[in-house]
Amino acid sequence: MAGKIIADQIEHSTAGSLDTSYVVNGSSKAWANIDGTGTIALRDSLNISSLVDDGTGAYDTHFSNSFSNIIYCALGCAKEASTGSRTSDVDRVFHPARLPFTTSACAWLAQRYDGIDADVDEAYPLLFGDLA
Amino acid sequence: MINTPSFKGIHLFDRLCWAKERLEPVQSDFRVIYEDDVDECAKILVPDPNFCAAYLQGGILPPVEVYWALADDEAKPDFKRHTRGYLLHETQPIEAGTMEDCIEYLIMKDLPRHIWQTWDTGNKPKMVICRKEQLPQTREWRNAWRISDELNLAA
Repeated sequence: MAGKIIADQIEHSTAGSLDTSYVVNGSSKAWANIDGTGTIALRDSLNISSLVDDGTGAYDTHFSNSFSNIIYCALGCAKEASTGSRTSDVDRVFHPARLPFTTSACAWLAQRYDGIDADVDEAYPLLFGDLA
Repeated sequence: MINTPSFKGIHLFDRLCWAKERLEPVQSDFRVIYEDDVDECAKILVPDPNFCAAYLQGGILPPVEVYWALADDEAKPDFKRHTRGYLLHETQPIEAGTMEDCIEYLIMKDLPRHIWQTWDTGNKPKMVICRKEQLPQTREWRNAWRISDELNLAA
Protein backbone atom coordinates (compact mmCIF):
# COMPACT_ATOMS: atom_id res chain seq x y z
CA MET A 1 0.00 0.00 0.00
CA ALA A 2 1.30 3.50 -0.83
CA GLY A 3 2.82 5.41 2.08
CA LYS A 4 3.59 2.32 4.17
CA ILE A 5 6.37 2.63 6.75
CA ILE A 6 7.77 -0.55 8.24
CA ALA A 7 9.48 0.06 11.56
CA ASP A 8 9.95 -1.84 14.79
CA GLN A 9 10.69 1.23 16.85
CA ILE A 10 9.99 4.97 16.90
CA GLU A 11 12.19 7.43 18.80
CA HIS A 12 11.42 10.89 20.16
CA SER A 13 14.24 13.45 20.23
CA THR A 14 14.13 13.73 24.02
CA ALA A 15 11.43 11.46 25.45
CA GLY A 16 12.94 8.10 24.50
CA SER A 17 11.85 5.33 22.16
CA LEU A 18 8.91 3.01 21.81
CA ASP A 19 8.45 -0.31 20.04
CA THR A 20 5.79 0.00 17.34
CA SER A 21 4.32 -3.23 18.68
CA TYR A 22 2.99 -1.11 21.57
CA VAL A 23 1.13 1.05 19.07
CA VAL A 24 -0.21 -1.91 17.08
CA ASN A 25 -1.18 -4.02 20.08
CA GLY A 26 -2.50 -1.11 22.11
CA SER A 27 -4.81 0.36 19.49
CA SER A 28 -8.51 -0.36 19.40
CA LYS A 29 -9.33 -2.92 16.70
CA ALA A 30 -13.06 -2.21 16.60
CA TRP A 31 -15.40 0.47 17.90
CA ALA A 32 -18.82 1.90 17.22
CA ASN A 33 -21.02 4.86 18.03
CA ILE A 34 -24.54 3.46 18.30
CA ASP A 35 -27.71 5.52 18.04
CA GLY A 36 -30.05 3.45 20.20
CA THR A 37 -33.19 5.50 19.62
CA GLY A 38 -36.07 4.65 17.27
CA THR A 39 -34.94 2.32 14.49
CA ILE A 40 -31.42 2.04 15.87
CA ALA A 41 -28.43 2.89 13.69
CA LEU A 42 -24.65 3.16 13.64
CA ARG A 43 -23.35 6.72 13.48
CA ASP A 44 -19.75 5.69 12.86
CA SER A 45 -17.51 2.70 13.47
CA LEU A 46 -14.33 0.86 12.69
CA ASN A 47 -14.18 -2.81 11.70
CA ILE A 48 -17.91 -3.37 12.22
CA SER A 49 -20.04 -5.09 9.56
CA SER A 50 -23.41 -4.90 11.28
CA LEU A 51 -25.22 -4.22 14.51
CA VAL A 52 -28.01 -6.50 15.67
CA ASP A 53 -30.83 -5.15 17.83
CA ASP A 54 -31.64 -8.14 20.06
CA GLY A 55 -34.33 -6.46 22.15
CA THR A 56 -34.50 -3.89 24.90
CA GLY A 57 -30.95 -2.83 25.73
CA ALA A 58 -29.46 -5.84 23.93
CA TYR A 59 -27.14 -5.55 20.93
CA ASP A 60 -24.57 -7.58 18.98
CA THR A 61 -21.64 -6.08 17.10
CA HIS A 62 -20.30 -8.15 14.20
CA PHE A 63 -16.74 -7.62 13.02
CA SER A 64 -15.47 -7.27 9.45
CA ASN A 65 -12.02 -8.56 10.42
CA SER A 66 -12.47 -11.28 13.04
CA PHE A 67 -10.32 -11.46 16.13
CA SER A 68 -7.77 -14.25 16.16
CA ASN A 69 -9.20 -15.79 19.33
CA ILE A 70 -11.90 -15.13 21.91
CA ILE A 71 -9.46 -13.70 24.45
CA TYR A 72 -9.99 -10.06 23.59
CA CYS A 73 -11.00 -7.06 25.63
CA ALA A 74 -14.47 -5.53 25.27
CA LEU A 75 -15.29 -2.25 26.96
CA GLY A 76 -18.46 -0.21 26.72
CA CYS A 77 -20.07 2.95 27.96
CA ALA A 78 -23.27 4.81 27.22
CA LYS A 79 -24.92 8.14 27.61
CA GLU A 80 -28.37 9.59 27.41
CA ALA A 81 -29.20 12.28 24.88
CA SER A 82 -27.33 15.52 25.47
CA THR A 83 -29.41 17.99 27.47
CA GLY A 84 -26.81 20.63 28.19
CA SER A 85 -26.67 19.54 31.81
CA ARG A 86 -24.08 17.35 33.51
CA THR A 87 -26.64 15.84 35.84
CA SER A 88 -29.03 13.05 34.97
CA ASP A 89 -30.97 10.43 36.88
CA VAL A 90 -31.46 8.09 33.95
CA ASP A 91 -27.88 7.29 32.88
CA ARG A 92 -27.15 3.76 31.73
CA VAL A 93 -24.36 1.23 31.96
CA PHE A 94 -23.37 -0.60 28.79
CA HIS A 95 -21.21 -3.70 29.00
CA PRO A 96 -20.56 -7.09 27.35
CA ALA A 97 -23.48 -9.46 27.90
CA ARG A 98 -23.10 -12.73 29.79
CA LEU A 99 -22.73 -14.68 26.56
CA PRO A 100 -19.54 -16.28 25.24
CA PHE A 101 -17.42 -14.08 22.98
CA THR A 102 -16.89 -15.33 19.45
CA THR A 103 -14.11 -14.16 17.18
CA SER A 104 -16.66 -12.61 14.82
CA ALA A 105 -19.17 -10.98 17.18
CA CYS A 106 -19.70 -9.66 20.68
CA ALA A 107 -23.01 -9.35 22.55
CA TRP A 108 -23.76 -6.28 24.68
CA LEU A 109 -26.30 -5.24 27.26
CA ALA A 110 -27.42 -1.82 28.44
CA GLN A 111 -29.01 -1.43 31.85
CA ARG A 112 -30.17 1.23 34.23
CA TYR A 113 -28.15 1.52 37.39
CA ASP A 114 -30.84 -0.47 39.22
CA GLY A 115 -30.10 -3.47 36.96
CA ILE A 116 -33.13 -3.27 34.67
CA ASP A 117 -32.38 -3.79 30.96
CA ALA A 118 -32.99 -0.52 29.17
CA ASP A 119 -32.40 1.08 25.79
CA VAL A 120 -29.72 3.73 25.49
CA ASP A 121 -29.67 6.90 23.45
CA GLU A 122 -25.99 6.41 22.63
CA ALA A 123 -23.67 3.44 23.24
CA TYR A 124 -19.97 3.05 22.58
CA PRO A 125 -18.51 -0.46 22.35
CA LEU A 126 -14.71 -0.53 22.16
CA LEU A 127 -12.59 -3.63 21.52
CA PHE A 128 -8.91 -4.46 21.84
CA GLY A 129 -7.12 -7.67 20.93
CA ASP A 130 -5.32 -9.58 18.21
CA LEU A 131 -6.91 -9.78 14.78
CA ALA A 132 -7.07 -12.90 12.65
CA MET B 1 -14.63 8.28 -8.34
CA ILE B 2 -11.97 6.72 -6.15
CA ASN B 3 -10.17 3.73 -7.60
CA THR B 4 -9.52 0.82 -5.26
CA PRO B 5 -5.88 -0.27 -5.21
CA SER B 6 -5.02 -3.91 -5.76
CA PHE B 7 -5.63 -5.18 -2.24
CA LYS B 8 -5.07 -8.93 -2.61
CA GLY B 9 -2.55 -9.91 0.06
CA ILE B 10 -3.06 -6.69 2.07
CA HIS B 11 -4.36 -7.23 5.61
CA LEU B 12 -8.13 -6.76 5.68
CA PHE B 13 -7.89 -4.34 8.62
CA ASP B 14 -5.58 -2.11 6.57
CA ARG B 15 -8.09 -2.17 3.73
CA LEU B 16 -10.90 -1.22 6.11
CA CYS B 17 -8.81 1.70 7.40
CA TRP B 18 -8.14 2.76 3.79
CA ALA B 19 -11.87 2.66 3.07
CA LYS B 20 -12.81 4.56 6.22
CA GLU B 21 -10.38 7.35 5.37
CA ARG B 22 -11.54 7.77 1.79
CA LEU B 23 -15.12 6.59 1.33
CA GLU B 24 -18.26 8.39 2.39
CA PRO B 25 -20.31 6.15 4.75
CA VAL B 26 -23.56 4.88 3.25
CA GLN B 27 -26.56 4.49 5.55
CA SER B 28 -28.76 1.69 4.26
CA ASP B 29 -32.53 1.93 4.53
CA PHE B 30 -32.74 -1.86 4.64
CA ARG B 31 -33.14 -3.86 7.82
CA VAL B 32 -33.20 -7.65 8.22
CA ILE B 33 -35.60 -8.99 10.82
CA TYR B 34 -35.18 -12.57 11.96
CA GLU B 35 -36.35 -14.91 14.66
CA ASP B 36 -33.70 -17.15 16.14
CA ASP B 37 -35.67 -18.63 19.02
CA VAL B 38 -39.41 -19.05 19.54
CA ASP B 39 -39.05 -17.76 23.10
CA GLU B 40 -37.24 -14.58 22.10
CA CYS B 41 -38.33 -11.42 20.33
CA ALA B 42 -37.44 -10.69 16.72
CA LYS B 43 -33.90 -9.47 16.11
CA ILE B 44 -33.03 -6.72 13.65
CA LEU B 45 -29.80 -6.51 11.69
CA VAL B 46 -28.60 -2.98 10.97
CA PRO B 47 -25.94 -2.69 8.21
CA ASP B 48 -22.85 -0.69 9.14
CA PRO B 49 -22.44 2.45 6.96
CA ASN B 50 -18.66 2.03 6.53
CA PHE B 51 -19.10 -1.62 5.63
CA CYS B 52 -21.78 -0.72 3.06
CA ALA B 53 -19.44 1.88 1.55
CA ALA B 54 -16.66 -0.71 1.26
CA TYR B 55 -19.02 -3.20 -0.33
CA LEU B 56 -20.34 -0.70 -2.88
CA GLN B 57 -16.78 0.39 -3.70
CA GLY B 58 -15.61 -3.16 -4.43
CA GLY B 59 -12.13 -4.70 -4.22
CA ILE B 60 -11.96 -4.46 -0.41
CA LEU B 61 -13.95 -7.25 1.25
CA PRO B 62 -13.27 -10.98 0.97
CA PRO B 63 -15.85 -13.44 -0.40
CA VAL B 64 -18.39 -14.42 2.26
CA GLU B 65 -17.21 -18.03 2.01
CA VAL B 66 -14.05 -16.96 3.84
CA TYR B 67 -16.12 -16.09 6.91
CA TRP B 68 -17.85 -19.46 6.71
CA ALA B 69 -14.47 -21.21 6.67
CA LEU B 70 -13.38 -19.32 9.79
CA ALA B 71 -16.72 -20.04 11.49
CA ASP B 72 -16.28 -23.74 10.73
CA ASP B 73 -12.81 -23.64 12.31
CA GLU B 74 -14.16 -21.89 15.40
CA ALA B 75 -16.95 -24.45 15.78
CA LYS B 76 -14.43 -27.25 16.29
CA PRO B 77 -14.19 -28.33 19.94
CA ASP B 78 -10.41 -27.92 20.08
CA PHE B 79 -10.47 -24.37 18.67
CA LYS B 80 -7.98 -22.06 20.35
CA ARG B 81 -7.17 -19.43 17.73
CA HIS B 82 -7.58 -18.92 14.02
CA THR B 83 -4.81 -20.47 11.94
CA ARG B 84 -6.41 -19.59 8.59
CA GLY B 85 -6.80 -15.85 9.12
CA TYR B 86 -4.77 -15.44 5.94
CA LEU B 87 -7.95 -16.31 4.04
CA LEU B 88 -9.30 -12.86 4.95
CA HIS B 89 -6.25 -11.14 3.53
CA GLU B 90 -5.08 -13.31 0.66
CA THR B 91 -8.33 -14.33 -1.02
CA GLN B 92 -9.19 -12.22 -4.06
CA PRO B 93 -11.53 -9.42 -2.85
CA ILE B 94 -15.04 -9.29 -4.27
CA GLU B 95 -16.08 -6.81 -6.93
CA ALA B 96 -18.44 -3.88 -6.34
CA GLY B 97 -22.10 -4.76 -5.87
CA THR B 98 -25.43 -3.08 -5.19
CA MET B 99 -26.93 -2.34 -1.79
CA GLU B 100 -29.22 -5.34 -2.31
CA ASP B 101 -26.14 -7.52 -2.87
CA CYS B 102 -24.59 -6.03 0.27
CA ILE B 103 -27.63 -6.98 2.37
CA GLU B 104 -27.51 -10.50 0.97
CA TYR B 105 -23.81 -10.69 1.86
CA LEU B 106 -24.48 -9.47 5.41
CA ILE B 107 -27.29 -11.99 5.86
CA MET B 108 -24.93 -14.80 4.92
CA LYS B 109 -22.09 -13.36 7.01
CA ASP B 110 -23.77 -12.23 10.23
CA LEU B 111 -27.01 -14.21 10.60
CA PRO B 112 -26.97 -17.79 11.90
CA ARG B 113 -26.82 -20.13 8.94
CA HIS B 114 -29.92 -22.07 9.98
CA ILE B 115 -31.93 -18.84 9.66
CA TRP B 116 -31.07 -17.90 6.09
CA GLN B 117 -30.81 -21.46 4.82
CA THR B 118 -34.33 -22.32 6.00
CA TRP B 119 -35.95 -18.90 6.22
CA ASP B 120 -39.09 -19.92 4.30
CA THR B 121 -39.73 -23.33 5.83
CA GLY B 122 -42.10 -23.86 8.73
CA ASN B 123 -45.33 -22.10 9.60
CA LYS B 124 -44.08 -18.60 8.91
CA PRO B 125 -40.92 -16.94 7.58
CA LYS B 126 -37.99 -16.75 9.99
CA MET B 127 -36.46 -13.79 8.19
CA VAL B 128 -37.79 -10.68 6.45
CA ILE B 129 -35.99 -7.84 4.68
CA CYS B 130 -37.75 -4.52 4.99
CA ARG B 131 -37.09 -0.78 4.94
CA LYS B 132 -36.54 0.90 8.27
CA GLU B 133 -39.68 3.01 7.73
CA GLN B 134 -41.68 -0.21 7.93
CA LEU B 135 -40.50 -0.89 11.48
CA PRO B 136 -42.13 0.61 14.57
CA GLN B 137 -40.65 4.08 14.96
CA THR B 138 -40.48 3.89 18.75
CA ARG B 139 -39.08 1.05 20.85
CA GLU B 140 -42.20 0.60 22.94
CA TRP B 141 -42.76 -3.08 23.86
CA ARG B 142 -39.54 -3.95 22.00
CA ASN B 143 -39.26 -7.34 23.68
CA ALA B 144 -42.65 -8.33 22.26
CA TRP B 145 -41.85 -7.65 18.62
CA ARG B 146 -42.39 -10.65 16.35
CA ILE B 147 -42.59 -11.31 12.62
CA SER B 148 -46.27 -11.23 11.79
CA ASP B 149 -48.03 -14.57 11.30
CA GLU B 150 -50.10 -12.94 8.54
CA LEU B 151 -47.09 -11.95 6.45
CA ASN B 152 -47.84 -12.54 2.76
CA LEU B 153 -44.70 -14.07 1.23
CA ALA B 154 -46.02 -13.54 -2.28
CA ALA B 155 -46.27 -9.77 -1.80
